[in-house]
Amino acid sequence: MTARETHIGQGVIVAAVTVVAVAVFSVLLDGFATLANAVVLVRSVSVLGILATGMAIVVIARGLDLSQVATMAATSAWALKLMPGGLPLWAALLAGLVLALLIGLINGALIAYVEMPALFVTLAMGFLIFGAVRTGLLGGDMLVYLPESAKSLQILGQEGIFGIPIPVFVFATMAAAAHFLLSATSIGRFIYAHGDNAETARLTGIPVRPLTLLEYALCAATGYVAGLIMAASSASVDLRIINSTLNFDAILVVVLGGISLSGGRGGIGSVLAGTALIGTLLNGMVIMNLSAEVQNIVKGLVLLGAILLDNALHPTDEEVMRQGDI
Amino acid sequence: MIGTTMRTLLAGALAAGTLVAGASSLPASAGAEEALGASRAAVEARRRFNAAFEGKTIAFVPITMGVPLTITWKDTIEREAGKLGMKFVLRDPNLDMGAMTQAVSALIGERPDVMVVHNPSVQLLAKLLKKAEKAGIHVVQINMASNTPTSAYVGADFYRIGKETAEDIVTQCGAGSGRSGKVAIVEGDPTSSVSMEQVTAAKAVFAAHPDIQVVSSQPGYWDANKAREITASVLTQHPDLCATYGVWGIMQLGAGQAIKEAGLTGKVLNYSNGGGPQIICDSIKAGLIDKYWSFDAKLQGHDIMTAVKMILQSGAAPGDLRTVLYSDTRMITAENADGACWQMPGQ
Repeated sequence: MTARETHIGQGVIVAAVTVVAVAVFSVLLDGFATLANAVVLVRSVSVLGILATGMAIVVIARGLDLSQVATMAATSAWALKLMPGGLPLWAALLAGLVLALLIGLINGALIAYVEMPALFVTLAMGFLIFGAVRTGLLGGDMLVYLPESAKSLQILGQEGIFGIPIPVFVFATMAAAAHFLLSATSIGRFIYAHGDNAETARLTGIPVRPLTLLEYALCAATGYVAGLIMAASSASVDLRIINSTLNFDAILVVVLGGISLSGGRGGIGSVLAGTALIGTLLNGMVIMNLSAEVQNIVKGLVLLGAILLDNALHPTDEEVMRQGDI
Repeated sequence: MIGTTMRTLLAGALAAGTLVAGASSLPASAGAEEALGASRAAVEARRRFNAAFEGKTIAFVPITMGVPLTITWKDTIEREAGKLGMKFVLRDPNLDMGAMTQAVSALIGERPDVMVVHNPSVQLLAKLLKKAEKAGIHVVQINMASNTPTSAYVGADFYRIGKETAEDIVTQCGAGSGRSGKVAIVEGDPTSSVSMEQVTAAKAVFAAHPDIQVVSSQPGYWDANKAREITASVLTQHPDLCATYGVWGIMQLGAGQAIKEAGLTGKVLNYSNGGGPQIICDSIKAGLIDKYWSFDAKLQGHDIMTAVKMILQSGAAPGDLRTVLYSDTRMITAENADGACWQMPGQ
């Protein structure tokens, strides 16, 4: 039980840091502490939060998915590309989801059955998806626009209910569903067991390999949902996002909130705490009009701080070390 | 010294070869044409023109294919070079800076006659372009300049676009306009010449007008989503914002979405520029962008080939010429948006 208690420790620390940051910004920055800005703040990190929700499941199971953003962009771009081709909206959306699940299953199979390290499988898969989908399914396009016929999809990104933008609702729903899965179902307990000690989990009869397939499929599917939200927000999918740091930002959020890279610890509360801190920092820095370099310094320091804290709270020892660990 | 001597010898040998080839092909064709009434001068001109390009190679290295600008450039270069009898080579680094430097290094080894490059930053290819010129390759830079000048830069005059945009913003938002004078700038990648020149020019104009206040100048890294997020934050801080100026249209569509979400369409002016693909004209008509400086990408493709024609006929060695061909620009607004943009090749 000590492990569980320490993760709560980190989540609480991050939440506390967030509260301090909010307090400082509220005093120093005019217009930070307003309802409108709070909405903008949460809205701006909702895509990141959705990605982190999927990433959390994989990291809790002591995995890692470096192909999540490639999956996100490629599958949502393909769905958009299918829409003007006469395919009904629902069919195009379903096709994108099927592709995302397929990518997740391949990731999971390579990791679980071929026993390759997740780091390398997903890294390579990211390149493969980017190249294969772009040349094979998108006709070489880097930019795919939301077609006129699918303007209804823009509701997802541009409308709100009672002033709360829909992406925030989607994030909340995904987070609630993931929380339910992880804390109230036996599959959720299995995922924790898998991350805590895969060998023991297998010995106690947990089907660890099929479970791995499920974890990566869920992560890829959340990536797809995030991709649709992004596509609806800007009426386009820009594959250049794959070359950005977004995938690492999602991992940053997860680790920051106290989901240890050594697995088995943390929960969706950690994702919320991490997302809140990143959102607050980004929003505050934009309002302060800080330069790109300073923003990078702050982000880098926060990530280093989080990993230091993770290391201090969950030191790696011979018992939990594994080949291919990062 | 040895290198120079060798090169002189080589150039001499090449020239002699060309002369012999020219001389051997001249009588038959010239005779036939002359018999049909063509002047000797015209025949000579055509022979010289053809000899300058036939069998030569032109290589194109964009930052990535798959975006409207590069697709259009490639389409025009490939078509026009084909007509000249030149071989066209494309290297697509797919946005990977490492792959781009490798592609250019490999091309230096392959010695094409002309290399057309699209610099993601002012520094990335600076050393390699020098090396390419030393290796005897003419380098044409397209739209995004490097710190190293080469035979030609073909592309928009981003300093001028920045200045003109800022001056328009001053008349729309400055003293006497009855507006707040608040302006937000969405930069691109801060290390790219496109972003640097526009932002420098615009800030210089704004600095001379105390009635204009730049409330935000943040990098959007060419990403529409980032532009949307930044603009949404700025609009909550400054709902009375007068104008937002993004250094690239496709990215600035995100700012347009943020303005629309905030219900401020028409109240906050959205300024941008770019190569003018159809999606931009559609967006201007939908009110997402108000004023757009278009440097027509199709014309730019043609300008690239004009530069290549001049360079190869001039007989100048790589490194001798330092020319600039700024693209023509026109302003697109909702009034003239019909037919002002181009469809992508193949659409």
